[in-house]
Amino acid sequence: MSALSAIRSNWRVVMLVILLLLSVFALFVPGATVGDDSANVQSDGPTNLQYGIELDGGARIRAPVIGMTAEDAEFENKAQVERDVATELGIETIDVSASRTSDATTVEVFDENVSESEFESALAAANVTHGEIRNGVTADTRQTIVEVLDRKISESGLAGGTVTQSTTAGGERYIVVTAPNRDREELRSLIQSRGEVRIDALYPEQNNGSTEYRQELVLRGEDIDPASTVKQDERTGEYFVSVTVNNDEAANEMATTLDEAGFTNRQAFSNCQYDAQRENNTDPGYCLLTVVDNETVYGAGVRRDLATSWRPDGDFTRDPQFRMTANTQEEARNLHLSLQAGRLPAPLDFEQAQTQFVEPSLGDRFKTNSLITGIIAVIAVSLTVYLRYGNARVAAPMVVTALSEVVILLGFSAAIQYPLDLSVIAGFIAVIGTGVDDLIIIADGVMSEGDVNSSRIFQNRFRKAFWVIGAAAATTIVAMSPLAVLSLGQLQGFAIITILGVLVGVLVTRPAYGDILRALVTDR
Amino acid sequence: MVEIEVPEIDYTRYTNRQLAAIPLAVLAVALAILLGWYLFTGAPVDPGTAFTGGAELTIQTDQSEDAIRTAFDQEPSNVRSIRGEEDTYIVEFPPSDIGALESQADDAGFEVLSSSSTSPSFGSQAQTEALYGVVIAFVGMSVLAFAFFRTFVPSIAIVISAFSDIVIPLALMNVFGIDLTLGTIAALLMLIGYSVDSDILLNNHILRRSGEFYDSTYRAMRTGVTMTLTSISAMAVMAIVATLFGIDLLSDIGLILVFGLTADLMNTYMLNLSLLRWYKFEGVAR
Repeated sequence: MSALSAIRSNWRVVMLVILLLLSVFALFVPGATVGDDSANVQSDGPTNLQYGIELDGGARIRAPVIGMTAEDAEFENKAQVERDVATELGIETIDVSASRTSDATTVEVFDENVSESEFESALAAANVTHGEIRNGVTADTRQTIVEVLDRKISESGLAGGTVTQSTTAGGERYIVVTAPNRDREELRSLIQSRGEVRIDALYPEQNNGSTEYRQELVLRGEDIDPASTVKQDERTGEYFVSVTVNNDEAANEMATTLDEAGFTNRQAFSNCQYDAQRENNTDPGYCLLTVVDNETVYGAGVRRDLATSWRPDGDFTRDPQFRMTANTQEEARNLHLSLQAGRLPAPLDFEQAQTQFVEPSLGDRFKTNSLITGIIAVIAVSLTVYLRYGNARVAAPMVVTALSEVVILLGFSAAIQYPLDLSVIAGFIAVIGTGVDDLIIIADGVMSEGDVNSSRIFQNRFRKAFWVIGAAAATTIVAMSPLAVLSLGQLQGFAIITILGVLVGVLVTRPAYGDILRALVTDR
Repeated sequence: MVEIEVPEIDYTRYTNRQLAAIPLAVLAVALAILLGWYLFTGAPVDPGTAFTGGAELTIQTDQSEDAIRTAFDQEPSNVRSIRGEEDTYIVEFPPSDIGALESQADDAGFEVLSSSSTSPSFGSQAQTEALYGVVIAFVGMSVLAFAFFRTFVPSIAIVISAFSDIVIPLALMNVFGIDLTLGTIAALLMLIGYSVDSDILLNNHILRRSGEFYDSTYRAMRTGVTMTLTSISAMAVMAIVATLFGIDLLSDIGLILVFGLTADLMNTYMLNLSLLRWYKFEGVAR
């Protein structure tokens, strides 16, 4: 037999070897992965394997969005409706959202204390006719939430964190946020804050001879673009974020409002004694307040050159830049994060959430222990098979073949950076189990009916045995597929790995074992 | 050397009725347990925290179990130690604020290794989903069984024995006090896949291959019993080791599969076989 024909008749083994080599490559060669933005993913240990929070430590929060939606709403002015409904319900305007897209017009309210009937009467008071009111928010809102949280997670340096949506079979929708190497409270406080930033002007006004203070909105967070990093003033040591107003309209409006409020007059320059830490600021002067989530975090005075640029003949709209200062570096970072990530359109309902947190040390322990568990399970399988056949020549290739399925699956997980969790480990053990079962079917099917003298007899028996394997594989896949699709958290990984393992087994490794077995039993 | 030899059973000594009686009786007992449980507790099996809602902390401390019980404002519903790890305990609570529990544990000087919480509404969602999952998997399997064999008796034999393979472990869960968890759901679904293997093998040998009935049966048994024993050994070892290490997910899966696969040995080679023999010798003749 020439080398070429040997390869041709054993092509299944060749394919198995190639797949194994590819898997080893994906597992051990640094950077040999195709997973999403690998800059974000630190691979730990000697392999490219990505571990989930159960094996690596970290936190996961799965929570529904707070909110109600009135479908098929009819209204003229979006902003007007939002204001009217919010006033009627006594809540903040940011907790009401009217939206008009190509296929739907809706009004949403994001406050857990608003009941359906209250919402209904508020809509009536705002002259909005509408269809059904349902629990939950619109797909657009959820998408924005996912995007904002995703930016928050990556901006805050949570390497490998992910934000996804999931839907249960009953139609409940959840936002799932996972952050490796973080504890639950850190993650929760990060995603709990709405991140609504605004700048208010606080200034004295003469009214019938007495002085009264007025607070007025001058700029919203969405009109502000922050610079890339937080900086420190060399002279004062204060931390600040340089910001630019990102549209002319907002810049104009800001300049006009502040000019009318008197900020452009000489007595207003650098005249602010506001202290956010103090309870009462009785006569603070002319201040720009940084308000985050309805809490004033900083009050700043305005220097002459900036203030004069707001005069009608000023050049603020051409160069609408200024600094937003903070008390501490951490506050400056939070401010930057909120400006960068944007405002969370609706809060998450932590009361209805599912949370999980694993300390990295426990994760490490699970990693080692589940590896040991897997190895012992493999030894148990090997022993049983060896005792049954009493022949290492039949048993050893079986165990090796079944293990190669696991290597291929591991290589695949590393290549796509699929995070390994306990359920995935359980899937691996299940794959070894079904794998060996099928190899036993092949071995018995081929050898039990007497000697195999020609490869035609072998092929014939192999094909018969393979029918059973195919049928069994099909049932396993059918049994596992609901889990792969449903959002039963941990079990998704288990189901996906089992299904993949069965596919790899039926298409590659089990046929390859047939070739090995043929070489063992026919060429005697 | 020790060798595993699958014994050749002389099936001619037993009637179909005798063969089927034992597995059917076991199935009936199992169903009775589930029904009784349902009548008394409102659920056929006790659902775990993943389905009812609740909180769980894994803590490390050298204090006593009693100290752990009193350290929290809320009385724990269960405290158990992990055998393989020193001074490590799993503490379970009814639904409560996990953040508060964590800080109480910190105040008491416990090191919190892991925590998880599930709200009741989340749990009931998961319950519905798990039920859908098992039902869809079972129906899918049944449809496939009928598609493979295209005759009623052999196909229904597979379906009945797979049903019994799931029901018996469920009843055993009540007997041994195991809660329904995500791990046990996974195991039940895996059972559908695993248990059908040996049934398909048996049907295939008897119906689709030439040869005498008892010869075919014995050949199928030799292969099938080896397969199931291999799986049982792997799962038993996994259940024991994972219990020692306190990895609940893996020990649940292992234990349920040991129950189910053992039940499968009985169901395949008594119930399924008797139905096939009846079909082969009497059913076809009709």
